[in-house]
Amino acid sequence: MASISTKIGNFSLENPVILASGILDETSGSILRALKSGAGAAVTKSIGMQERKGYPTPVISEIKTGLLNAVGLANPGIDNFVDEYKNFPEKKRTIVSIFGGSVEDFVTLARKVEGAGFDKVELNLSCPHVSGVGSEVGEDLEMVEEIISSIKTKTNLQVWAKLTPNVTDIVALAKASEKADAYVLINTLRAIGVEIYSRKFSLSNVVGGYSGPGIKPVALRAVYDVYKETGKDIVGVGGITTWEDAIEFFLLGARAVQVGTALLYEDYPIYNKISRGIEGYLDSEGFSKLGDIVGVMSGNAALQSH
Amino acid sequence: MQHSRVIDIVKENKDVFTLRFDSNLDASPGQFLMIWSPGGKEIPMSLSSTSNPTTITFRTFGETTKTISLLKTGDRFYYRGPYGNSYPKPTGKVAYIAGGTGLASLNAMLLKYQGDVYVGARTKEDLFLLRDGYKITTDDGSAGNKGTVIDLFLPHANEYDYVFVCGPEQMVKNLIDRVDKKTRAKIYISLERLMKCGIGICDSCSINGIRVCKDGTIFSMDEVLKMSEFGLYKRNEAGKIELFVNGKR
Repeated sequence: MASISTKIGNFSLENPVILASGILDETSGSILRALKSGAGAAVTKSIGMQERKGYPTPVISEIKTGLLNAVGLANPGIDNFVDEYKNFPEKKRTIVSIFGGSVEDFVTLARKVEGAGFDKVELNLSCPHVSGVGSEVGEDLEMVEEIISSIKTKTNLQVWAKLTPNVTDIVALAKASEKADAYVLINTLRAIGVEIYSRKFSLSNVVGGYSGPGIKPVALRAVYDVYKETGKDIVGVGGITTWEDAIEFFLLGARAVQVGTALLYEDYPIYNKISRGIEGYLDSEGFSKLGDIVGVMSGNAALQSH
Repeated sequence: MQHSRVIDIVKENKDVFTLRFDSNLDASPGQFLMIWSPGGKEIPMSLSSTSNPTTITFRTFGETTKTISLLKTGDRFYYRGPYGNSYPKPTGKVAYIAGGTGLASLNAMLLKYQGDVYVGARTKEDLFLLRDGYKITTDDGSAGNKGTVIDLFLPHANEYDYVFVCGPEQMVKNLIDRVDKKTRAKIYISLERLMKCGIGICDSCSINGIRVCKDGTIFSMDEVLKMSEFGLYKRNEAGKIELFVNGKR
């Protein structure tokens, strides 16, 4: 049987299918359930400095090709988060997503995450629907660079930078983030939903983030471009609902994938289903390990011997 | 988002309304809809009848429910769903225990399966959807027995094969704390928590990793007994854990 274990920065995972931030990961009980259901690791909902209620409903809207959401970064705030996770048994397999409006916020959050016993953060530099944080920060290249280098200098955390696709040049953004240990590509696309009979917007915030099957080609393109240019570790995310989708991301350079919206279609069994599918593909195609297919379609042989 | 036309709205009491709407929903008793007031909020609501015409029965407690209660015959009524699981089909002798607006959800079952109905309310004025023979308690004694509906029910628990429960969390907690765990009655409980998405992805309604909206809303008593947070902690809109302020019906 082929090995599907992988490594992102210094983090070794038994399987490369990770619960994406924002879906079923607000409560510690649900994080545990995802891990028990076969996710190799899990990313929490994004945590900020203060408790935040998020937007009024409707916060989600299902469309044919995926999901629109504007939950609005609802989160209990870092101190309540730390409190809830005090005795949490899976800190090594849990990546804490954080968001802030300044370098200082990010550093404070990172330190508290580290103090709570976690060793990995995912920087939400890309939430498309909250002003002052997320992608408004993530589109400011100098600030991104400073956030990442400050966290790397002031903590021992592994830093994953989740980048926004809502920019002209995602490679420039990736280069500004190059001190991160890995890139997470991509967050949701900025989008709007319309209800034609009431002539009202589908989401209370009007603008939301688009996820699900429809955004997969956009995510693939981002992975392809960034891998070719940087060769760094990439976690692919965006529209993955089957093992075949995951393979596409690996071929273009991702070393792991995140799955979120697909829980809507197949629920928790999806993690094992995708993992088993990846294993089967490697076996039937004659590869002994996942690393053998990473980046083979991104055309830079030097980058493949990671 | 789906929509149907309103057939009519019946005022059940001072602040409870039943809205009948024309739909070909394929729903089962216990399921809920996410009701949308265009331009306003979306909220979960149990179906009080799943046969055509389908109905919802609700208390007006905020802007959305108030707006819905003012709809007129022929107006469009917007919703998503039906979502959630449904009550299992009972055999033998059946009891229903309702508190708050819980009778709305149980009413959909009562239209299909007869049983003894135990209803608890604050006062006489809060009662709705009553039929002859219902066993009533009120907090102030203005109708039926004074006291809690659980006190009224418990001495009879062993008379039933199936018991269906829908009401405030503290009422349910009162029941599962006190009922004989070896009772022959199979007890099924419809839970209610703050819900944002209704489709099992936002995690707002989760109790110990169990989603009320998708894994439920109906759980067996054994499943509820395993939820260590049940009746003790809830989560606010930010996902922060808060203690329940104790109260029971």
